[in-house]
Amino acid sequence: MRKASSTSTFHQRPSKANQAAKLETRHLSRAIPGKAVVNDISLQVHPGEVLAVVGPSGSGKSSFLRLLNRLDEPTGGSVLIDGRDYREIAPRELRRRAGMVMQMPFLFPGSVADNIAFGPRQRQEAIRPEQIDALLTRVGLPGYQDRDVSLLSGGEAQRVSLARTLANAPEVLLLDEPTSALDDTSERGIEELVLSIIRERQMTCVIVTHDMPQAARIADRTMVLEAGRMTAIGPTPEVIRVD
Amino acid sequence: MWTELMGRLSGDVAAVSAQAGGAAGLCLAVVLLCRWAAIHVERETLVSLLRGFVQIALVGLILALVLNRGLLVGVVILLAMTVAAAMIASRRAAGLKNALLLSFCAVAAGSGVVITAMIAIGALTAELSMLVPVGSMVIASAMNSCSQSAERFRADVTAHAGQVEAGLALGAASAAAVAPYVQSAVYASLIPRLDSLTSLGIVWVPGMMAGMIVSGADPIYAGIYQFIVMAMIFAASSISALAITLLLRARAFSPAEQLILRRGAAAQIKR
Repeated sequence: MRKASSTSTFHQRPSKANQAAKLETRHLSRAIPGKAVVNDISLQVHPGEVLAVVGPSGSGKSSFLRLLNRLDEPTGGSVLIDGRDYREIAPRELRRRAGMVMQMPFLFPGSVADNIAFGPRQRQEAIRPEQIDALLTRVGLPGYQDRDVSLLSGGEAQRVSLARTLANAPEVLLLDEPTSALDDTSERGIEELVLSIIRERQMTCVIVTHDMPQAARIADRTMVLEAGRMTAIGPTPEVIRVD
Repeated sequence: MWTELMGRLSGDVAAVSAQAGGAAGLCLAVVLLCRWAAIHVERETLVSLLRGFVQIALVGLILALVLNRGLLVGVVILLAMTVAAAMIASRRAAGLKNALLLSFCAVAAGSGVVITAMIAIGALTAELSMLVPVGSMVIASAMNSCSQSAERFRADVTAHAGQVEAGLALGAASAAAVAPYVQSAVYASLIPRLDSLTSLGIVWVPGMMAGMIVSGADPIYAGIYQFIVMAMIFAASSISALAITLLLRARAFSPAEQLILRRGAAAQIKR
């Protein structure tokens, strides 16, 4: 049985607490007519840290994540990247810096290489074939450059989606239930891959998941959302208990 | 004028009205056939037939009354037709703020540019008897393209919202994120027009050419003139389709390049 603890623990992980926050939310809120989907959330995430966002369906997890790269507009509060309000950053630059991997890969029609090159191409930057090869090797898909994306399995497509995001060299990685559509083997593979890349690049990561054991496996800290409100945050072992 | 008009009504018009009744009867027979196949279009067909007949007969009456008036009257009639076309086309953009204005701009841009060009090259004389019938064909075609491209763009973007947002999340400009859907919307609306041009004379002889020949015009002249009209209709359609799609594209995103044209989000689209 999995459940979140009922206690609200709001302390920082000791090794990260003294660092400057990479990502910070201050009273972040989003309301749509008749409903507050994200309600007054303030937190900090530090370089190299993985924060899991857990909670029941409809609790506002994905809505919260979409506010972090401004796919949706907050109706209150603010988000800071390196201490700077993200409204001062051009949305395209912000989204390059805060890359997102969605629940579904949403690959663009064409080859794997076309998908990897999509982000850099938006900035008129070329990505060399060997760079594409290196990224694909890193996500465990060497030699996949010329494959048509329509022929990929779910796990392969999600790996391409991750490589496509990494091609933008993001500083913050936002993961929206990236393994929810995958089988157990693919899920573990993606988890291990994400963790190793985060450690290697010292990236800041926020992962939304409904899977408590997954949060326990990969997150330094965990935040619990209920009805748009943060009900707990702290080191993962203190916030969630997996029986 | 009234005496002349009454004379017409009692002669040819009475005969053609009887023929119109025959044509409508055939349509109703087809409706019964559809009903037999459990396709229920009875009410819609009846309303459309009645509405179409009354509208076109009224336009004929108005034209008969104003046929010898000045150019200004023709311009007013075309403007009224453009407003009506925009009202019909705007239903495809329902939920978007200023849908009627956007549709009017698109239809007016396509038909206005083309009608002016036709007058400039002498293909259309600035006489009411020619301006209104040919102009209305151009406006109608612009309206159809406007509706088709608006509907296609809206449907494609809402159906592929995830893909559009995946593009945005990778740092794409909003225009780049929906570029495939702009292209497909404009192209899809032009397919009927392209097919019409391709099949011109082989599959069909358009009504206007047929009418000119019946009226005694040289068939070669009538054919070439018909081509001019078809080419202009294609141009008007292209301009209108492109205009409405680009206008809708601009309304599909917030200033911070967030997708707001989403399924079930009509209320949020207004800004």
